[in-house]
Amino acid sequence: MSFTPDSILPETIPQPELANKFGIVGAVLSYLVPGLGQICQGRIGKGLLFFFCINGLFYYGMALGQWSNVYLPRAKSQPQMKIIPGVPAMPNCISYRLQYVGQFWIGISAWPAIYQFYYYDEEEDPPGDPTVGKYQRTPLETELNLLQSRSDRAWDLGWVYTVIAGVLNIMVIYDALAGPVLLIQLKPKAS
Amino acid sequence: MTYPILAAGYYWHLPILIVVISLVYSATRHDDWSIIGVEAYRWGMRMLSFLGMIGIFLYIVTLIK
Repeated sequence: MSFTPDSILPETIPQPELANKFGIVGAVLSYLVPGLGQICQGRIGKGLLFFFCINGLFYYGMALGQWSNVYLPRAKSQPQMKIIPGVPAMPNCISYRLQYVGQFWIGISAWPAIYQFYYYDEEEDPPGDPTVGKYQRTPLETELNLLQSRSDRAWDLGWVYTVIAGVLNIMVIYDALAGPVLLIQLKPKAS
Repeated sequence: MTYPILAAGYYWHLPILIVVISLVYSATRHDDWSIIGVEAYRWGMRMLSFLGMIGIFLYIVTLIK
C-alpha cells in the first residue's frame, strides 16, 4: 500500500484548544531548549522527539569536532571582510565565523560561546573561566591547525552537523509558533 | 576486496544525520504520529537515493580514466 498527499482535510487541522496554545511563548521556549515549547503546549511526544534529535545532533557534531567547533572569535587583529560588494562589512566575529549564525539557533546550548566572546580574548590565551572553563572558547590558531591536520575530516563534518542542528531548530521554533506547516492528510492510494 | 567508500570512516556518521533530518522535518509538518513515521521514512529514502545516485555517479567517474 502506498501513501500520497491527497487533500487538506478538516481532521488534520489542530484542535482549537491546541491551536490557541501556539504563540510566541512556545516559540521562545523552543528556541531556548529545542522541543520545550511543544512540551509546554501539551505535545509532549513531539517535544521529546525534537529535544533528543536536535540536541543529539548538535552534541554529536561537537564531539566529532573535539568540542572545538562552536565558538565566536573576536578576530580583532584580522582585517574586515567585505563579503558582498557595496554592503557594509559585518563585524569580524560573524564574518570570521559564519557557522555561528546557524549554530546560534540551537539556543542555550550555544550561549557559552557568546559568554566567552565577551569576557575573553583568544589572542591573549587567558586561563579557563571558573564556570565554563574553555568550553566554546575560540581555539588558538595553532590548536585549530592541529585539529584540522590530524583528524580524518571529522572536525569539518562536526561543525556541519552543529549548523544543521541549529537550522532544524528554526523549523521547530516555527512549529511552536504557528503549528505544523503542512496540514496534509496522507490517504492510502487505491490500488 | 576493499571499497574506498567504506574505508573512509566519516561516511559512517551519515545515518544519524539522515534519521534526524527526516524525523524532525516530518514532525514539523504533521502532528499525527503515523503520518510522521510514513513521511520520515519517505524523506529518509529520498535522501538516501539522492546521495546514493551521487555516490554511484562519482564511482563511475573514477572508473573512467
